[in-house]
Amino acid sequence: MNGLIQDVKFALRQLRKAPGFTITAILTLALGIGANAAIFTLVHAVLLKNLPVVDPKMLVRVGDNDECCINGGAAYKNDYTLFSYDLYTHLRDQIPEFEQLAAMQAGIGYGSLTTRRSNDSSLPKSLRSEMVSGNYFQVFGLTPYAGRLLTPADDVAGAPPGVVMSYQTWQRDYGLDPTVVGSTFLLNTNPVTVVGITPPGFYGDRMTDTPPDFYIPMAMEPQLGPAHPTTILHRSDRSWIYLIGRIKPGTELPSLQAKMGGVLRGFLAQLPTFQRKGMEQNLAQSHVVLVPAGAGIENMQQNTGKGLRLLFIVSALVLLIACANIANLVLVRGMARRAETSIRMALGAQRRRLIRQMLTESVLLSCLGGLAGLVVAYGGTRVLLNMAFPDATDLPIQATPSTVVLAFAFGLSLLTGLIFGIAPAWVTSHSEPAEALRGSNRTTQDRSGWLQRSLVILQAALSLVLLVGAGLMAKSLSNLEGQNFGVKTENRFVAHFSPENAAYKQNQLQSLYDRITQDLHALPGVERVSLSMYTPLEGNNWSEGVQFQGRAEPKVGDEMGASWLRASPEFFDIVGHHVLRGRGITEQDTATSTPIAVVNEAFVKKFFSNGKDPIGAHFGVSGMQSVGDFEIVGVVSDVKYNNVREHTRAMYFRPLLQMAHTKPEDDTRSMYASAIMLQTKGSIDDLESQVRRTLANIDPNLTVSRYDTFQGQIRGQFNQERLIARLTLMFGALALVLASVGLYGVTAYSVARRTPEIGVRMALGANRGSVIAMVLREALMQAGIGLAIGVPVTWICTRFVQSQLYGVAGHDLVVLGGAVLILAGAAFAAGLIPAQRAASTDPVQALRME
Amino acid sequence: MIELKNVERSYKTGHTETWVLRRVNLTIRPWEFITIMGPSGAGKSSLLNVLAMLDDQWKGEFDFDGEAVHRMNRKQRADLARRRIGMVFQSYHLLDDLTVAENIDLPLSYKDIPRAERQSLVADTLDRFQIVGKKDLYPHQLSGGQQQLVGIARAMIHTPALLLADEPTGNLQSKQAKEIMEMFRQLNEEGTTIVQVTHSEANAAYGTRIIELRDGWIYSDTAGEVNNTAAEVGQ
Repeated sequence: MNGLIQDVKFALRQLRKAPGFTITAILTLALGIGANAAIFTLVHAVLLKNLPVVDPKMLVRVGDNDECCINGGAAYKNDYTLFSYDLYTHLRDQIPEFEQLAAMQAGIGYGSLTTRRSNDSSLPKSLRSEMVSGNYFQVFGLTPYAGRLLTPADDVAGAPPGVVMSYQTWQRDYGLDPTVVGSTFLLNTNPVTVVGITPPGFYGDRMTDTPPDFYIPMAMEPQLGPAHPTTILHRSDRSWIYLIGRIKPGTELPSLQAKMGGVLRGFLAQLPTFQRKGMEQNLAQSHVVLVPAGAGIENMQQNTGKGLRLLFIVSALVLLIACANIANLVLVRGMARRAETSIRMALGAQRRRLIRQMLTESVLLSCLGGLAGLVVAYGGTRVLLNMAFPDATDLPIQATPSTVVLAFAFGLSLLTGLIFGIAPAWVTSHSEPAEALRGSNRTTQDRSGWLQRSLVILQAALSLVLLVGAGLMAKSLSNLEGQNFGVKTENRFVAHFSPENAAYKQNQLQSLYDRITQDLHALPGVERVSLSMYTPLEGNNWSEGVQFQGRAEPKVGDEMGASWLRASPEFFDIVGHHVLRGRGITEQDTATSTPIAVVNEAFVKKFFSNGKDPIGAHFGVSGMQSVGDFEIVGVVSDVKYNNVREHTRAMYFRPLLQMAHTKPEDDTRSMYASAIMLQTKGSIDDLESQVRRTLANIDPNLTVSRYDTFQGQIRGQFNQERLIARLTLMFGALALVLASVGLYGVTAYSVARRTPEIGVRMALGANRGSVIAMVLREALMQAGIGLAIGVPVTWICTRFVQSQLYGVAGHDLVVLGGAVLILAGAAFAAGLIPAQRAASTDPVQALRME
Repeated sequence: MIELKNVERSYKTGHTETWVLRRVNLTIRPWEFITIMGPSGAGKSSLLNVLAMLDDQWKGEFDFDGEAVHRMNRKQRADLARRRIGMVFQSYHLLDDLTVAENIDLPLSYKDIPRAERQSLVADTLDRFQIVGKKDLYPHQLSGGQQQLVGIARAMIHTPALLLADEPTGNLQSKQAKEIMEMFRQLNEEGTTIVQVTHSEANAAYGTRIIELRDGWIYSDTAGEVNNTAAEVGQ
């Protein structure tokens, strides 16, 4: 122990003696460890952390993908993740292996609730809610912070309407006011009682940047559900909930999974959808996959996991480069301290003791770097969170380092210290003491040379991998953002609202829409106004299978899906759809006129590939009896609405309030527009508040849940890609700088050591140019070997990011060539300074050194 | 061949200026074998560095075969030295990671000479100095005398008119030193002008003229003419 303390004291003294080296090393380490700790904070919070609930290991999710939000028909690949409420109760009652099986709403939207406290005179707010089964909190084993949590008794028809508020909402919007518990709130104009507050750390059943503000019993779905004003609570053909259960101890998951598959098929077999001809195979293959649910519903994990893992690897590589750099610095110091080492050895110090002393110094240095890294990590995490979740309200991820992050940073510091310390310690302790004591070394090479060069080569190779990765990501992002979406975004704005939350009845919608359109048109500078179910690239999509008049009934498995939306007349002009044939939607397309549809080019391509004229064709979405429901009156240009990485989907557009003749009850929910688009004549000051005021003047319950420019909304689609591209670019640049500094350091050291040799060469006739060329050749040779190793490694590594790229081949020669050139340029610059210094060597001085 | 007029050299350390060469006037004729002697710090090596054109911080006039070195820039001086002067060092200054043949080739590698011609010159030189058998060895595999022989071979490969040697036998045993001095005498007899710096009277005896320096002044010159310096030194 005494020896260790002595080592630490000596190490501190050594570090104090060389402030330049110490500061450089600590800064380099701080950047490396800080970047890693910041990324780890995200990785830990998103990918590794369990829900703050009791015994999360016993939680199991029924279903394994991220499907959302309300689906009809058979599940994708017959793998069930979304369930109807009736199927949920069926499974709950048939499977005793679960202590509790809870249901929760799949899609938690922005502003799904218009909320006002009943005794509060201020305007209502748009808040988020999640419908949950009565045993939801029991499954998680939670106890309330205040009041009580929901119980199964709350989740029955006719029970007094009671909801639970999240602690975050209570704190953020109501200042922890204890009178909130037990008070009445108006949710979508329905009076409910807040029965309790969730525990502070609980953020729901999934990681999200917008956790629910209210937990509402499923029994209230008819009033507050996602299909309001219609209800899907007891529609077995509508799947809209996720399931998480707590299994009984000793339950075997594989057998439970098989059993649940059987119960599922038994239920599905009763549904008309599965009694159709051709659905036998779907039924037979219908199954569920059970996955651990300690972390809850892992949709965000599935969506961001690949990106986060990639960033984690990239930041680890940067740290490795930083280690190589510091190893070089330590090595140079070690060489400079050879005489000291030799004296110690001559006085009887054992190699092991010397290595321990040097490692103590390295580990101490890395721990200091780790401490500074925590500051970098804190700042970095804040920046990362802002970049990754720009719209977050109550993101359950803290930038402040948690115990786990602190432990990670400390462990990483120790590891880093060992990595960069061990090789120099070994080399220095194995120098020849007699030679070192003599003070001069005739040879132009030394023992550490190969190690230093190897480290530079390693840095160059790794930097190439990172630079190419950054280049590919940047090019992919540029392709994604720069693609032709078919839209016009200049002076266009999008506001989201919810007439159903303001309790508008179907027969009131026409006058409401007229009033909104008219009042917004009256705002100075507003040129066009449209209402629609949703807008392009906001993450929403409605789709149906279509059947055409005069054609045979589609067989099971035929690809007949088309996305669709309802819109008002000016929608096409605002969005940027061009009417290519026929006409668009007009003021004459009213609730009472003949139901029409306008289709896009992709729709024509998909369903009229035989060259038939789509204008005048009829189709429907509710079976063959509905094929005459809509008449196609026009074709508009393609616009991407949903997946930016795929081709434009076939789409049809309908007027806001026309109702299908067949199954009109299925056609009413879609009449509730949720988006307003505005086109202005230029920029208008404070347009957002004017829009909010205009809607509030019509009805105070018409709240704006989201407002953005159309451009901003589209940009929001690429947040993750932008984050990854920016970070890989940043890490790539950092790697380049570190590698350049490393090469510079090694070359400068080599020049300093070779001064006598250079002097001899100059005395023998070497001119400035040949000395510069000689030094540069050596520097570029190392970079060249690094590139030669890096190119095939990069070639292999790019396979792993291929799935994240858009419009870029993993083996993009332009990016690879560019990265090689940048690295070669950086190596040239890094080598040039010491080369020039070498060329300025005074041969007389240099020879005197010998 | 060489004419130095009032050549002076000093070093500044802080506020003090230390003179290492004072008003040196010197004429060196072709075929001469000059020995520069003097105590440590007398300016012997400094004078040699001026003659080698390695140093360009001196003042005065320096003519080399009619060319005014004092009017040349650094590059022109380096070119002239590369063509006409060879250097032999006390500690040989062979590059340890180059073989004997590569070390000898080094001065040629800085000239625009075709590779084949260079190889032929190296082969001739190895032959001339009788070190063909050692051409693939590295310096650390040679004795001190052999290393200095390689150093002389390297200096002579481009047949310089002037060979400068700074304590060429300083690190050698007397037997090896004698061999090296015999080699110098032979080169001189073949027409090379030699200027050597040495402390050894025995080595000086190989030369045709001895110049003694003291405190930067030429104190004596066996050629006879020392312009008023002795008097000044005595002051």
